[in-house]
Amino acid sequence: MIMDVEKQNRTVLVVDDEPSVLFTYKLLVEREGYKAIAVETSKKAMDVLHSAQRLDLLLCDLSLEEKHNGFEVIEFALSRFKQLPCVLLSGYATNHIVERAKGLNVPVLHKPIDIEEFLKTVTTILGADDGDKAQTKEH
Amino acid sequence: MATPQIRISPMGEAFSKPLQDRPALRLLSAEQSDEIFPILIEELVGLGFSRALAVLVDFEAGIARPVAALNCSKSIKEHFTAPLWAAEKPLIAAMRNGQPAVIDGPRNERFFCCPIIYSNERLCWEADREHRADCLAIMNSRQARSLDLQQQVCAVCNMRAYSAAVLVAVERNKVDSRIGKAAALTLLANRYLSRLFKVEHYYNRMRDMEINIAQRDTVMMSMADPVILTDAQLRVITQNRAAERFFKLPSEQESATQGAIRAVELNNLLFSATLSSLSVAGREDNSRDITLVDVEEGREVLFEAVCAPTIDTDGLRSGLVTVMRNVTDLRRADVEVRTNLEKLRNAEEVLRQDRDRLDLVIRNVGDPIIVADHSAKMVLLDPLAQELLGKRTDENSSAALAAEPKIIKNQAKIDAYLQGFIFFSTTRNETRSITLYNPSVSAEVEYEVRSGKILDSRGQVSYCVTVLRDFSAWKKLEQLKTERHMLEIEKFSATGRLAGTIAHEVNNPMEAIKNAIHLLDRHVDSEGKPLYDILLKETQRVASIVRQMLGLYRHGENVVSFELNAVIEDTLALFNRQLSTRGVTIKRQLQNIPAVLGSADQMRQVVSNLVVNASDSMDQGGMLVIRTRYYLSSDGLHGWVRISIADTGCGINPQIETSIFDPFVTTKGEKGTGLGLWIVKGIIETHRGKIRVKSKLGRGTVFRIDLPVIR
Repeated sequence: MIMDVEKQNRTVLVVDDEPSVLFTYKLLVEREGYKAIAVETSKKAMDVLHSAQRLDLLLCDLSLEEKHNGFEVIEFALSRFKQLPCVLLSGYATNHIVERAKGLNVPVLHKPIDIEEFLKTVTTILGADDGDKAQTKEH
Repeated sequence: MATPQIRISPMGEAFSKPLQDRPALRLLSAEQSDEIFPILIEELVGLGFSRALAVLVDFEAGIARPVAALNCSKSIKEHFTAPLWAAEKPLIAAMRNGQPAVIDGPRNERFFCCPIIYSNERLCWEADREHRADCLAIMNSRQARSLDLQQQVCAVCNMRAYSAAVLVAVERNKVDSRIGKAAALTLLANRYLSRLFKVEHYYNRMRDMEINIAQRDTVMMSMADPVILTDAQLRVITQNRAAERFFKLPSEQESATQGAIRAVELNNLLFSATLSSLSVAGREDNSRDITLVDVEEGREVLFEAVCAPTIDTDGLRSGLVTVMRNVTDLRRADVEVRTNLEKLRNAEEVLRQDRDRLDLVIRNVGDPIIVADHSAKMVLLDPLAQELLGKRTDENSSAALAAEPKIIKNQAKIDAYLQGFIFFSTTRNETRSITLYNPSVSAEVEYEVRSGKILDSRGQVSYCVTVLRDFSAWKKLEQLKTERHMLEIEKFSATGRLAGTIAHEVNNPMEAIKNAIHLLDRHVDSEGKPLYDILLKETQRVASIVRQMLGLYRHGENVVSFELNAVIEDTLALFNRQLSTRGVTIKRQLQNIPAVLGSADQMRQVVSNLVVNASDSMDQGGMLVIRTRYYLSSDGLHGWVRISIADTGCGINPQIETSIFDPFVTTKGEKGTGLGLWIVKGIIETHRGKIRVKSKLGRGTVFRIDLPVIR
């Protein structure tokens, strides 16, 4: 069992363009004892990724505002934090998207997501990592 | 035979004048014409003339020469011998103009010359009978005719006349009263001579006729066919030996058998009946078949009796000549020929019917048909083939078709193919695809060419029949079917897309609601708990409906040819863990099957829906069996792929078994959306497939899917 203190140090970035959905995701993550940063746009997400010193998980919706989609955010995130675990959330999980996610080694959760599955995925990823292995900025 | 009759003439009294002169009586005693001149000469000398002679014209030689003379020296005779053309001679001149004259003889002797010629004041018998006036005797008596031979042949009886001159020596410069007597006697002698001459002519003619009759008798007798001459009353006048064999009893055999007598009687009776029939029949119908009995041999002989009327000199029918031909063998042969002809006709008829039937078949096949002979030469083309290859009546006319080079090209292709097949191929049947130009659609068309060899009794190719099938039409039809099929898939996809769009729009708000409800669980008091549970449950249900609908949308609508077995394997891999945790073992029996045309994603959904259903039905574990196999339909033309997915789960309640493919029907109670099987059925039907279910409550369920294999 991971200690709450340790959990508090785990930071999850949640990106979704629907504020109410984003809010529920944030609460779900926080309820598990992790620190959650919730942003609605890709720009904000990239800002966070740019400035953040440490991130443990990125949960990103596929369809964001027109400018960028979830893949671009994830790809940007991976360029910043090579080992950052990412999970793609999507209502449009076509084969093409699934294949692309597979190529990035990113699991996909289809909306409407099964909350049990969601929480299991999050805790599995964050639980597997201990604090030392947290992704820090490479500079 | 004509009987002599005494003709009484109204002019009879001219002859009734009694002839008391001795010379005249002596002349009458002459039996033959050549006796006249000697008697006349003697009587003339008897009148007191010193010498007398008669000169007769030899028409054959064209010379007049003395035939009788008294007291005439050789020189006198020579003097009065002259050719007819020597008109300058007084003798010839006198004979030519027919007038008596006094002419010079040798040694200053003078002669009274009285020319005579065949003449008569009355018509001869023949001229009288034929009612002709140009009898030579009459003509000569009325006017002097030239002495030419042509002029002196009777136009009626063809008798040659005689011409002569009687000469008596007279004293110079002295009127001699005896001359008148001499002239009268000479003219009287000429009248007798003319009659004798005519009688001799008749005698000669009779003799000729006898010879003629004898010759004809010989001919008749020597004829192998019976010849019978009958008179107007149908009585037998004469018959040849061949006829006697049938109509006369053998005379030497006195003891003629009863049978022979009977046979002859019968033959005569039959012959009379035939003759009666023939004599009343017209000129055209002049033959009858008659069966006679051979008296000697007793066998029946079939004759063809041909009849011709005999016409007498007055042009009347005097009787019949009947010639009978033995046609026994001929008729037998004829019957045989007729029978054979009939057989031949029947055979021809059968052949013609066969040909007509074949023609009908060929015409109704509706595909071009070519018949080629052993030398790969096309001998028969049906109208459709003619359209493709041109009409080929013979070698020469193919040049006339050169106008259409594409047709020539077609010919060349077919020729090459036929030669290849007939000369070099060892198989009896062959199917090939050949592209030909079809003028009716003005396009190159791919034909399926099927050929078969017809072998003769020695196993050599005698004919080769080739049927061309317009492959393009068939392919077009298949393409059309495929297109329609794809359209249906497209339609289904469009429906799915619409559902998906709605679902997606619902998705986000519902996501928020669902998460919010989950998050609220700690804030619900005991009073609100039942309501909260309803919210939670129903939201989850909505979520799963949306999930199903989105699943429909997520799949691409690319229609491709895909490997069904691979799709099944992929899907099974996805559910492998879920199934094994439930204690379900998977058994695969995936046979080698052809590729299936359609949407692989939709098919993946079908398989996953069915596998999930199976999995859900086996809470306590069990076995999942997935089979695929290829089979041909009963007509042997269409290929099908069958997928069967069987489980050993709880089974389906028979009450809903018929409606399980309807939307929103579920066996999973609150857990199911009731959309899974509906979607499966929709997908299978858009793939023109069939889906059936067999289930036994508590034992398990089998879903069987049949998909057509589209080439």
